[in-house]
Amino acid sequence: MTSDDPAPFVELREVTKHYPGVTALDAVSLDLRLGEVHALVGENGAGKTTLTGVLTGALHADAGEVFVAGKSVKLDSPAAARKLGIVGISQELAIEPYLTVSDNIVLGQEPTVGPGHQVLSRRLADSTATRALASLGASDVPLGSTAGRLSTARKQLVEIARALALDARVILMDEPTSSLPGSDASKLLELIRELRADAKAILFISHRLEEVIEIADRVTVVRSGRKIATLPIEEAPIDRMIELMVGRSIKDFFPPRRSLPGDVVLEIEGMSRDPEFHDVSLSVRSGEILGLAGLVGAGRTEVMRAVAGADPRDAGTIRLHGDELDPASPSDSIAAGIVYLPEDRTEQGLVLTMSVLENIALPSMARLTQGWGLLRRARVQDLGRQWCSKLGVRGRIEGSVANLSGGNRQKVVIAKWVATTPQVLIFDEPTRGIDVGAKREVFEVMHELAAGGAAIVFVSSEIPELMNVAHRIIVMSAGRVTDELQEHEFDEERILTAAFAAHVERKALT
Amino acid sequence: MKSAIDPDQQGQKPPPSPGARRILEAVWSRLRTIDVRQIGLPIAVVALFVLFSSTSDVFLTARNFQNVSLQAAALALVAFGQAFVILARGLDLSVGSTVAFVSVVTGLVMVDGGVLLGVLAGLAAGLGVGVVNGLVVTRLGVVPFVGTLAMLSIASGAALTLAGGTPIVGLPESFTTLASQRIVGVPLPAIFVIICFGVAFFFLRSTRFGRYIYAIGGNPEAARLSGINVATMTALTYVICSLLAAFGALILTARVASGQPTLGASLALESVAAVVLGGVSLFGGRGSLFGVLMGVVFVSVLGNGLNLLNVRSYTQMIILGTALIAAVALDRRLARRTGD
Repeated sequence: MTSDDPAPFVELREVTKHYPGVTALDAVSLDLRLGEVHALVGENGAGKTTLTGVLTGALHADAGEVFVAGKSVKLDSPAAARKLGIVGISQELAIEPYLTVSDNIVLGQEPTVGPGHQVLSRRLADSTATRALASLGASDVPLGSTAGRLSTARKQLVEIARALALDARVILMDEPTSSLPGSDASKLLELIRELRADAKAILFISHRLEEVIEIADRVTVVRSGRKIATLPIEEAPIDRMIELMVGRSIKDFFPPRRSLPGDVVLEIEGMSRDPEFHDVSLSVRSGEILGLAGLVGAGRTEVMRAVAGADPRDAGTIRLHGDELDPASPSDSIAAGIVYLPEDRTEQGLVLTMSVLENIALPSMARLTQGWGLLRRARVQDLGRQWCSKLGVRGRIEGSVANLSGGNRQKVVIAKWVATTPQVLIFDEPTRGIDVGAKREVFEVMHELAAGGAAIVFVSSEIPELMNVAHRIIVMSAGRVTDELQEHEFDEERILTAAFAAHVERKALT
Repeated sequence: MKSAIDPDQQGQKPPPSPGARRILEAVWSRLRTIDVRQIGLPIAVVALFVLFSSTSDVFLTARNFQNVSLQAAALALVAFGQAFVILARGLDLSVGSTVAFVSVVTGLVMVDGGVLLGVLAGLAAGLGVGVVNGLVVTRLGVVPFVGTLAMLSIASGAALTLAGGTPIVGLPESFTTLASQRIVGVPLPAIFVIICFGVAFFFLRSTRFGRYIYAIGGNPEAARLSGINVATMTALTYVICSLLAAFGALILTARVASGQPTLGASLALESVAAVVLGGVSLFGGRGSLFGVLMGVVFVSVLGNGLNLLNVRSYTQMIILGTALIAAVALDRRLARRTGD
């Protein structure tokens, strides 16, 4: 980065965006320079995605101005933004799954020939796509293959290639590494460096602050729709960024453990389902929080869903208090006292069309009815009230659960399952996508449940969370258990090594 | 409140009394929470009443209302059933030919076996169609659109085959007069519909199975993980739908006094129209049976009024289709405005 601050290529001035009941962006100003990576960090709901939406023309700001190359512009549609050379690469990749790689790259700007330029030229399309992929060093992506069948990393390459084919000057990346395995993520960072050297302006949004340190030139921190600061990266170490994001010091973030493990409650032995997991054995005690570490795709979710009866298994026994259990459906596991809190709240945990109360009552309804399935409304209400106040759910509990924030939705999911008075709770990535304050509350609930005698399995991809919350950690890699650590042995490096174990072995073999 | 003790305020125009203001605020906040989309259909029904009572002398007579409620009875039952299916994220396009099939089976059995046996046979036929629909959708994994479209063809073919292509006549009078009987002026079929409405409304609203249907429609995976047997409950909605269609078929069969293999051809469209106009989401999980009842009233009153105005039935089909598109388009536009 040069010291004589070059003129910004894109500049937002006091951009404001309201949604019913919230101000998503409150007079935010920000500038992007060519040949620079500008990171944008903040908690969920801080306004990052809204800001990219405004820049890509997908959302309309209520107030404020946007300048591109010194001129005031109107970004009233994605097409307008693309014309100005601004392209967004979204969290959910905008790939047409049934079109070929080549067709995806030229999508919306198909090269045409013939009278009136109405006939698509496959030859020109392929050459455009080849050039774009080559400049990304990704010539090995086959042009003719169906895009939906590519890996996530390669889909992302196709999207970036599309941006290059458009001759984009500004590329907005919203959490581009969140769905990538480690090695692919570092490749992407390398690619971003090359784009920067190629004088592109890049806005990089990530929750992985180490990446931000590694790649960004400047960082802007947002909190509750307001810009807190824009700093050169040298002045923003990770602690400082977190402090700015949260608005307070991060000490005392993890509540203390409150329980001591007792007798074994859940025991699984030799669980296998090809090709997801092999010969997985573990046990959890009453009052214990067992951490389950591993990379995305290590098979943790799959094993736990099988224990919860949500998916089948090829082999393996499940024992609860020594009695064998063979769950054929979630209702079997729930009846036995094993509940699974899914990692994707909106897709799997909640019925968004129903009220908070009804969502909480859903798995307990058999208990809340009298003859002929007649619901006892008063008991449904009591149950919901009781757990909402215990867990501090903020929002109207008679209203739709869709109106709640991510953290409050997570509390509703917890309430829904705790209300069944289970003996074993499986929390799958319970802190994903919720803000720091809500995270602490979730940990407190887990400790309280453990103190009450429940056995808890805590699946998380955040190693610091596991080390500060769990009593014991089991590490999985490529579907197998690769390590087990007692509390006094907790060590980030050892956990990471075990998480990568299967991949390293495979590499050593080839 | 602060202004009342603030000396600077003296001599200025007094603010409206707190009581009055509170009432005004309450009324205003109440008005603001009313969803235009929910009151749109009742307004449309009222508009139809105003329109037809000013253009036809007959419309606002007790006799005509008896007529409408009799005509609406079968549609109402079929639409209630359709609502169960759609609330659970399904669709039943076979309701019309189910009605024809039940009518023929009822007719054939009744001619030789008497009223009770005929009715039971008809209901069994409806039950059978519902069970097959439910199994095809939940066990064989055929999408509802295709599965029930195929059943439309199968049931229709079965009805025509059984009947040999002609109506089955000679039904006992004790059965055919049921449709025209009245209790304190209300046709018997309409009373039956009101009872069915009450039971179905109560089932959806106040039993756990009703809540399960909403949960499945809102998010099938979350419902499954909550321990709900999604396949069985979904299949049950098809059974309920076909059974209600069978009751509708009995009413129509009694009215036309014969087993008709071509009965109910327009019911698939009309029932979906009533359900959608009534505010039930085609994606499932949202809507109430009361709205469906209003949808039935709208479709039936529209047909009746147009009849009285001597609009030909072919033209009426065009009008109903257009009204359906217009209503849904309007709903989408309002939904976008309220950011839903």
